[in-house]
Amino acid sequence: MRRPQWLSQWRRMLHRRKEVVGINERNVELIYRHNDRRHFPIADDKLVAKQVLSELGVPVPRLLGVAHGLHEVNGLLERIEDEEHFVIKPAQSSGGQGLMVVGEQVERGVWLKAGGGDVTLAEIRQHVANIVFGAFSKDRPDRAYVEERIRAHPVHARLWHDGLSDLRIITLNQVPLMAMLRVPTAASGGVANLHQGGIGLAIDIESGRTIRASFRGRPIDRHPDSGAPLIGVQQPEWERVIDTARRASQVPLAYLGTDIVVDQSGRTLVLELNARPGLEIQNVNGRGLGTYVEEVLR
Amino acid sequence: MFDPGKMIRAWRAIPRLSAVTGTLVAASAAIALLKISVWQVSPGDVLPHTQYSVRLTMRLDGNDDSVVVRSFLPASDVRQEIRDERVADASLSHAVVTEGLNRKMIWTGRHVQDGVLLSMSVDVMSRPIAYDIDPGLELPPSYPLSIARYLKPAPNIQVDSPEIEEELERIGADHGTILERLGAIHTRTSSLAARPFKGTTDALTALRLGEASCNGKSRLFVALARQAGIPARLVGGLVMKTGTTRTTHQWVECYVGGHWVPFDPTNGYFARLPGHYLELYTGDEVLFTHTRDINFEYQFWVSTELVPSSVTKGVFGSLNVWGVFERSGLPFSLLRTLLTLPVGALVVVLCRNVVGVPTWGTFLPALLAAAMAETGLFWGLLSWVAVIAVAGLLRSSLQDLNLLHAPLLAILLAFVAVTLMGVAVIADFIGNAQLSRATIFPIAVTAISAERFYMSISDDGMPGALKRLAGTAAVILACYLVMNSLAVQMLLVAFPEVLLVVVALELYLGRWVGIRLSEYFRFRGLLIKEAG
Repeated sequence: MRRPQWLSQWRRMLHRRKEVVGINERNVELIYRHNDRRHFPIADDKLVAKQVLSELGVPVPRLLGVAHGLHEVNGLLERIEDEEHFVIKPAQSSGGQGLMVVGEQVERGVWLKAGGGDVTLAEIRQHVANIVFGAFSKDRPDRAYVEERIRAHPVHARLWHDGLSDLRIITLNQVPLMAMLRVPTAASGGVANLHQGGIGLAIDIESGRTIRASFRGRPIDRHPDSGAPLIGVQQPEWERVIDTARRASQVPLAYLGTDIVVDQSGRTLVLELNARPGLEIQNVNGRGLGTYVEEVLR
Repeated sequence: MFDPGKMIRAWRAIPRLSAVTGTLVAASAAIALLKISVWQVSPGDVLPHTQYSVRLTMRLDGNDDSVVVRSFLPASDVRQEIRDERVADASLSHAVVTEGLNRKMIWTGRHVQDGVLLSMSVDVMSRPIAYDIDPGLELPPSYPLSIARYLKPAPNIQVDSPEIEEELERIGADHGTILERLGAIHTRTSSLAARPFKGTTDALTALRLGEASCNGKSRLFVALARQAGIPARLVGGLVMKTGTTRTTHQWVECYVGGHWVPFDPTNGYFARLPGHYLELYTGDEVLFTHTRDINFEYQFWVSTELVPSSVTKGVFGSLNVWGVFERSGLPFSLLRTLLTLPVGALVVVLCRNVVGVPTWGTFLPALLAAAMAETGLFWGLLSWVAVIAVAGLLRSSLQDLNLLHAPLLAILLAFVAVTLMGVAVIADFIGNAQLSRATIFPIAVTAISAERFYMSISDDGMPGALKRLAGTAAVILACYLVMNSLAVQMLLVAFPEVLLVVVALELYLGRWVGIRLSEYFRFRGLLIKEAG
């Protein structure tokens, strides 16, 4: 007698259920067990991350200046008066909030802004003050910092010209488990976050080639705006990317998501660390994390 | 050989969490068993009783001359316990008189204005009652004088009419034991067709028409019983159902073996009555008598509340919780809320961590569900959504001002307060008493909901905030159903130690690493589709 299809589907689901890591399992088995709360600031505060990573010899974007409070805002502005191509960031925001990307200086005190328009020194001062005041960190006082603007590697720029694609690598006990490339789209407005409309590309950790791509939960094979093919793209400097991720994972957060960009000249720079990396990477890769986690912990 | 080291190692091998969870469950079971076995607390005894609150409201127009209104007050007896009699009236004076077996309330006044409202209310604890009539019991040779008068004819109860006599013979109720006679009479009268007629139907008319409302059926029952030699009388009262009604009810009592035994031919109760009958008077009386031409109207309003049984009070007494509540004048509903809140929180945990519903906060849905016990689910949710909508509108108008957080929330609170007042005004306008209770919504809980919605719009965007709003509403619904379920409330009031099991479940859920139901959908591509 032929077994009904739903029964075999049901069995397959029960079997695969062990492979998929859900939020409960991530929190209890990965985060609470491996990441001590007191080390969370390493991931939650980008300035702390920058310092810890530099001490480990992990390359990070060059820091141009920091404002630790309102009294340091003018000092920070003096330091960047003559600079071009820099980014202003809050240390504790999430999801790219409060980011201001500044381009070349068109006249004294006026710069072009990424995404069009220009920005004056007074406007920058206002923005920095807002950051320090906590406008992007739920009203908790924050620090503002300025770092060099990263120019995308040609391989990534070819996929989409606006914004910066970044690589997310998940490591457990310093072993890379899964990797993906996040590419911005016209809809995501220069941000590569998946829930804001970025594309996720699964990368084979061995070869560094993209094997799958998904956009808003559906598999695709071309960029919806540029039409660039997304499958089989060899990632630049892949060995160095993995090496960087391994070195960054020496921080005392055993379960870690590291965000890495490859710049124009092939430098692999860590932008951010994440102590509670999301689970969507499983959908992007078409595989659950469970099997890999088991292998590492065995 | 006894080896203490081995035992300690074996003890240590039990995971601490399982040990704590097991201990909690065992402790809870032990306390419950102790109560049942040692203190002889049977689950039936500790269950709370339904207490009815019956309010009679009467409206009348004045008269140049004096106005008199008479009605009946219920009395306590073996089946019903009347307490907390309250009379509220401004312009008429009132007095209670006893007339035979009945208590009568008389309102009198002179030069009364139009549209005067009189009201009176009682709390009723009643229970079902059933009598076993000895099948061998024969008619006694005679009755005491005080009982024998219940065998005589009355204007609307034509006992001596030949038609009643013939009918008694025809249904075979003129001979046999008391039980056989009453059985035949009950069968005959309850088989009469129903008739939605409000006025008075006498016994003979009911028989001739073959149809009658409750008073006609009851009068025919009384007439047949008296003709058969069984003392019988009418009883008038109210079938208590929550809500408002103008419909009163009549049934019958027969004197059997020294007791007045109830029969209701209309609803088919033979020698028994259910718990929700309220007896107001006995005899062939009219519930209201009043001066003519005063445009008299009346209405009963019935509500129910669970109150603990005396046994439960005893159990609480040993911890002195109930005693403190009673002395401080705190209502039973507050104790009930305190007991059900932890269960509500468990429901929230299940919804969040097992189902995967996005909500605001862990306690918020449970607290709101507790508050909605007062307003009812529909009106409660409606006024809650109204407050949240105000928060949403406020945000769109204040957004550009870039206000600091604390002053912004203070403004929000002011608008929440005004919205709740607005709800009260609307409730009064449409005459909805339940909706008006929304104003006693704990303002803190409501304001926090508004704040969460406001913040959620910035954090998750409008679609995300609405999703969370819908999720929170769904979890409030789940909490409401569980927290307001009679079974859960009775269990908790009788066995508060069940809360230990709730904590044990939460400990288990705190370490539960299963996939949430919503994640079956989120990862359906990984779980269901073919490999490849």
